[in-house]
Amino acid sequence: MASHYNFKKVQVVPTASEFVDIVLSKINRKTPTVVHPNYQISRIRQFYMRKVKFGQDCFDEKLNQILADFPKLDEIHPFYADLMNVLYDRDHYKLALAQINTARHLIDAVAKDYARLLKFGDSLFRCKQLKKAALGRMATIMKRQKDSLAYLEQVRQHLSRLPSIDPNTRTLIICGYPNVGKSSFMNKLTRAEVEVQPYAFTTKSLFVGHMDYKYLRWQVIDTPGILDHPLEQRNTIEMQSITALAHLRACIMFFLDLSEQCGYSVAQQLALYHSIKPLFANKPTMLVVNKIDVRRPEDLGPEDKAKLDEILSTDDVSLVQLSCYTDEGVMDVRNAACDKLLASRVEMKLKGAKVSTVVNKLHLAQPVQRDDVERPAFIPEAALSRKKYDPTDPDRRKLAKDIEAENGGAGVFSVDLKAPYMLANDEWKYDTIPEIMDGKNLADFIDPEIEAKLDALEREEERLIAEGFYESDNEMPDEDEEEILTAAEKVREKKELIRMQNREKKSKNSSALPKKAVARMSRLEDFESHLAKIGNKGDVEALRSRSRARKRTHSEAAAGEGEMEVDAPARSKSRGPSVMRDRSVMGLRNVKQKVEAENLKKKAQKMPNLYAKRGEADREIQVKRPKHLYTGKRGMGKTDRR
Amino acid sequence: MAVRAQFENSNDIGAFSRLSNSYCLVAIGGSENFYSVFESELADVVPIIHTSIGGTRIIGRLTAGNRHGLLLPSSTTDQELQHIRNSLPDAVAVQRVEERLSALGNVIACNDYVALVHPDIDRETEEIIADTLKVEVFRQTIAGNVLVGSYCALSNQGGLVHPKTSVQDQDELSSLLQIPLVAGTVNRGSDMIGSGLVVNDWSAFAGLDTTSTELSVIESIFKLQDSRPTYVVNEIRDSLIDSMM
Repeated sequence: MASHYNFKKVQVVPTASEFVDIVLSKINRKTPTVVHPNYQISRIRQFYMRKVKFGQDCFDEKLNQILADFPKLDEIHPFYADLMNVLYDRDHYKLALAQINTARHLIDAVAKDYARLLKFGDSLFRCKQLKKAALGRMATIMKRQKDSLAYLEQVRQHLSRLPSIDPNTRTLIICGYPNVGKSSFMNKLTRAEVEVQPYAFTTKSLFVGHMDYKYLRWQVIDTPGILDHPLEQRNTIEMQSITALAHLRACIMFFLDLSEQCGYSVAQQLALYHSIKPLFANKPTMLVVNKIDVRRPEDLGPEDKAKLDEILSTDDVSLVQLSCYTDEGVMDVRNAACDKLLASRVEMKLKGAKVSTVVNKLHLAQPVQRDDVERPAFIPEAALSRKKYDPTDPDRRKLAKDIEAENGGAGVFSVDLKAPYMLANDEWKYDTIPEIMDGKNLADFIDPEIEAKLDALEREEERLIAEGFYESDNEMPDEDEEEILTAAEKVREKKELIRMQNREKKSKNSSALPKKAVARMSRLEDFESHLAKIGNKGDVEALRSRSRARKRTHSEAAAGEGEMEVDAPARSKSRGPSVMRDRSVMGLRNVKQKVEAENLKKKAQKMPNLYAKRGEADREIQVKRPKHLYTGKRGMGKTDRR
Repeated sequence: MAVRAQFENSNDIGAFSRLSNSYCLVAIGGSENFYSVFESELADVVPIIHTSIGGTRIIGRLTAGNRHGLLLPSSTTDQELQHIRNSLPDAVAVQRVEERLSALGNVIACNDYVALVHPDIDRETEEIIADTLKVEVFRQTIAGNVLVGSYCALSNQGGLVHPKTSVQDQDELSSLLQIPLVAGTVNRGSDMIGSGLVVNDWSAFAGLDTTSTELSVIESIFKLQDSRPTYVVNEIRDSLIDSMM
């Protein structure tokens, strides 16, 4: 996984004057530029206000970009926060960003003020002056940020060149006095190609390299040399080493030069170990003796030897030795360091809660013997004895892709699919075989013994028939089954009848009637016949008598009494009777009068209906645009009603 | 020896190839690069055959087979069937199967002795599998997935199963198959083992994205290059823990 800490994406910070130029030219490009004094003043105001607002937006956007891009010291990993403190000075950095933030607020305030003032601009000239003043003040504010911007640009350039160190991955840190061979060792392990020179402080910053070990990716950090003096006196170069040592959970490899070619005595180097020892707490640590081609720990003087032994006995460190010059022990040291770190990391992780999620992947399921069958692997002799393919070998096997490349490459070359056929006669390989012959699929006859097999099948079939295999045992269906079958037959018949009737109805050359109308038109006989069909004959009379007994009071039904009667429906008393009054009989004394009235109505409507003429009940607009509503002056601005 | 390969920018090489101890089927692609990866490892040992199934290139997902036989789905055309018959030795039985679950590679996972199949597979198909491939057939799921062929890769030496297979399931499957099993991933964390990995008893091919840790697990469980399954729990255990957590 790539590191989260990548500061290469911070955008370039322009200088103050460039900044102003960028914004002003952007305003010119992106807002309208033509305005005339005889425009309405509101339009002129709006024109300049837009310019001021747009300028503010541009500044805002660019400044916000800067504030968002630069890493916030409180949010990044402490290692990077400390490293940035060492390199760029935390206070200075924070102050610069704070000033940029203030400038942004000031510009906002200026834009707000002038937008307000512009509302009172009474001519084009004044509006223009106000705009000019607003942009001028914004530019001045930016010019004052000249130093912060220049500083931030420098920080950006330096940040983007920082090595991308992942603080959480497997890391080896190489540290020690200057000139003890740290960078040489780094170059042996990785391809970082750190500069190696025979003078102190060749390495002036952190360098990172990568290597593979045990199927994993390891990060190796080469630090600048450290001298043995108090923390306050350390310079920036040394402080970078201290930062890395303090914050990265890594394997510390403290390098010692027993030959003293580096210019520092063994005693001095061991004193340094003691003074920076607190930084190694809880981390796997190794004392690495370099340059053993010159001097080995066994050759050490008794005094130094005692000091070294004291360290080894009191602290949890191991002593390893190597020579970058003769390559002796380099890989052993690397492997020892990696193993030590891996063991400590695994120990830490196994204490965590996440371990339960991977426990099934660390399980090797071994089979339990379930029978005595041997299930050996099948590896052909040719697979074991064949020469391994080596792409660098001059007389290597010619692969299909080589043949393809020789014959015009992919897309041009067409592979011969029939070449590997295993047939009795190689001449048959390219025979053209038709797919279909005499209306028969050839593939169905591909088996040479198809006739014999078919014959055998047929004979077996005959035998089975003869033996009565296909005759079913229970040929007599029982009573229940028969009943069901007859019922089903009836149902099917009925369904077919209904379907035919429906088809008959549909095919009639008349309009379809709604269900209600059909119900109204149906007669009692239909109902009776339907009931009879269902098999409900006896009930018809009873139903009929019931319907007579419950005759509904209907205005027409009351005709016999020779007297009009307002319908008194059987509904809840919560509603007043007025609701249901029948308008058609209102004002008419009796039914006779009503019938007369209806006749008259029909007669009057006869002719208009015949010619489909407009009646008085039809909706009508006599005059579409009445003149009195559309003429006359409209001084008040009213056009529709006056 | 485990090798990384890619079929036309796809890491799902198991979809485009079918490997067994006696043959290797490879999809017909735009170039011969994919074919040549198999050729460089297997040429002169087993036949490596270009083919399509029903006109498609996903032959690995549509076919199932082992040393004894090859099962083809009903979508295989007569011409393809004849082409495969011509190209394979007579010892390999080729059989077309009328099965509703026609992606046979997804529903059948087998080695030369045992096959795990989808629980809903036809009874007749089950018999055909047992007869053609000469295997014992077990209806199983892997980590709750019915597509057993997609989520595991088996050889006679060992097997890799879906990373979420529980320890109990692993033990049960291992006893059925009579091979050691381990749960793992291919193609940088993909759980589609069947599509990312093809194996036989002496070689393995994995997708190009497969990490070195994953490859080391594959090599040890399938006993490639003198590696032993116990490496997973001994030698590379620390690396696995550190890379997975």
